[in-house]
Amino acid sequence: MAQRSQVGRTMKSMGALLVLGAAAAVVLVTSASLGEHPLLSRRPTGEPQMISYQQLPAPPSMMDGAMCEWVPASASSPLSAAFPQETPAYSPTQTQSETATREPVRVVRDDAHSYSSVAVDVERNEVVMTDENLFSIMVYDRTTNTPPTARMSEPKRMISGLATEIEFQCGLYIDPGSGDIFAVNNDTVDKLVIFSREARGNVPPDRHLETPHGTFGVAVSEKAQELFLTVQHDAAVVVYHKAAQGEDAPIRLLQGNRTRLADPHGIAVDEENGLMFITNHGSVHDVSPDSSGDDSRRAESKPNWPLNRRFGVPGSGKLLPPSITVHAISASGNAPPLRVIEGPKTQMNWPTGIAFDPERNEVFVANDAGNNVLVFDASANGDAAPIRVLQGPTSMIKNPTGVFVDVKNDELWVTNFGNHSATVYRRSAAGDPAPLRVIRAAPIGKQALMIGNPGAIAYDTKREEVLVPN
Amino acid sequence: MHGIRYDAMHDEFIVPNQFAQAILVFRGDANGEEPPIRIIQGPLTQLHDPDRVDVDPVNNEILIPEDDKILVFPREASGNVAPIRVLSSTGNTLGELNTDPIRNLLVVGGSSRTGARREHALMTFPRTAQGDVQPRTMITGPNSGFHSGARMAINANRGLAFGTVRGNQVASDESYVGVWSYAEDNGDAPPRWTIGGPGGMLRQPRGVTLDPKNKTLIVSDKYLNAVISYYFPEVF
Repeated sequence: MAQRSQVGRTMKSMGALLVLGAAAAVVLVTSASLGEHPLLSRRPTGEPQMISYQQLPAPPSMMDGAMCEWVPASASSPLSAAFPQETPAYSPTQTQSETATREPVRVVRDDAHSYSSVAVDVERNEVVMTDENLFSIMVYDRTTNTPPTARMSEPKRMISGLATEIEFQCGLYIDPGSGDIFAVNNDTVDKLVIFSREARGNVPPDRHLETPHGTFGVAVSEKAQELFLTVQHDAAVVVYHKAAQGEDAPIRLLQGNRTRLADPHGIAVDEENGLMFITNHGSVHDVSPDSSGDDSRRAESKPNWPLNRRFGVPGSGKLLPPSITVHAISASGNAPPLRVIEGPKTQMNWPTGIAFDPERNEVFVANDAGNNVLVFDASANGDAAPIRVLQGPTSMIKNPTGVFVDVKNDELWVTNFGNHSATVYRRSAAGDPAPLRVIRAAPIGKQALMIGNPGAIAYDTKREEVLVPN
Repeated sequence: MHGIRYDAMHDEFIVPNQFAQAILVFRGDANGEEPPIRIIQGPLTQLHDPDRVDVDPVNNEILIPEDDKILVFPREASGNVAPIRVLSSTGNTLGELNTDPIRNLLVVGGSSRTGARREHALMTFPRTAQGDVQPRTMITGPNSGFHSGARMAINANRGLAFGTVRGNQVASDESYVGVWSYAEDNGDAPPRWTIGGPGGMLRQPRGVTLDPKNKTLIVSDKYLNAVISYYFPEVF
């Protein structure tokens, strides 16, 4: 940590607090994992809370502090001449700790859990969901139904905290025998974490598996005892032994320009017919072992490890349409898909979670940017229209990212990242049906900010808006 | 998505698409399913792993730092176009970038190799430098507190650079936004200020930007999934 220089400055007299326009409610969440900071110790109430105030100087004039107008490059005088030559003196006696611990004037943050993926433990009649906003895994009774007047439903178990190594989880698998929870981390933490079904609180995973960077979807073939992961960043699928852990290497790798994998997300397997279905958002580039590569994240000596972005071929990038690629479950190397479902009739728009129904031979897709769930015949190919579409205000489907087919109970589960809810339908549902049940993590109507992995930020001075890419 | 810039002069915003090796330019008020107005992509571009982006609206250029080089394109470039300048710097990585059109400098965050060690470094280069060039100044060293993974913004008026600094863990209260004077300092110079920590609210700061009218610094925090604003008149 740098030694902080001592900077002294006299504060001017303060005026009234100015509450600047904010985009959403300003509420902070309670989490023991966030330390003792007072602003992070309040409990969520579902309502805005004042978190801090600080008196400010008297309001400046409209032009005070505004950036000087840019002078075009063709100007006859240098730009520097347009700016004041004297700047406030840097005083080495100013106490820097004043700013280090200064409280923010505004925090935009969603204090509610936002469900990203879902899986049902049919043996124990529980439903498990990952929360990609507050980084938790939440377990409810399968038949939980949040009353309309209730703010939210409390989970019966929750796994959350720094020790859990959970972050940006987007894929989920429940072991039908043990009830173990397999949860996929998408960014920062390159691990698949596995918890026993009784895990709760801020506990380390019972087991973990080192994975390539940017894994997203997970599926398991119980018949073959194999675990499948999509790797977004590398346009790949890696397959492990289901019991793999630690630094175990994958047993198969599917990667290459003939695979048609392009920013792959969800994955589902048809064990009987030996197929895997993968949703793709469309952005991709070629990789080659001959390209300069340097992976500081993981030793590349592991067999079946995908070539990462460092091995990208410069200038090979493409923006392809969204698709579902259908591969042989044993596919490896640069093997082409057996089928590709792609085209305008498919209505796909950020197709994310995917689930396979072996009884009905159908594939369900959580179509995030389309705000709907698309149902395809599992034998579909080319520019095929879905056989059913679920969408509309009554359905409550909004930015769905996860789907799960519960064959035993004839139910379809959808996690809606756009409104803090999970909704349940009959597998045959179509149109704009009311859900059979709803599990909510926030009051009805509470806006979901959908801030997820905000890796950058910009300020639009014209509209006075903050641009947040996710 | 790890980079974005707003061009106030032309009312556009620019984002890199890392997977597709593309630079996308949108209208300033683009909304919904609106396509970009320009896309830079193709074999001539040399785009390899575009993760960050900068725009220089004064000199009409888009700049892409790619760790081992900086690619410079005309601001209105579209399609499969070659860069008009390429800057590299032996021994240094060039990961984040802001253009100072007042001093005609590139303010670059990255790292510098000293023997077997790699040190975090905040560097400046002449704006139109190309080829293999060493930085004209470099703030680096144990006291500097700079992090090579920092996202950055600058106040060109004051010659100040703002960089997000993470702690050593996934979520650390050692995180902060540091403010360095690239116009006056060189070598192992500490930040003039830090805000948001250490010991503050930030846990994994990523993006940083400035609202000059309201003298506010705005930070995105990846672990908190939050956008946090600090009133910070000292730096405006």
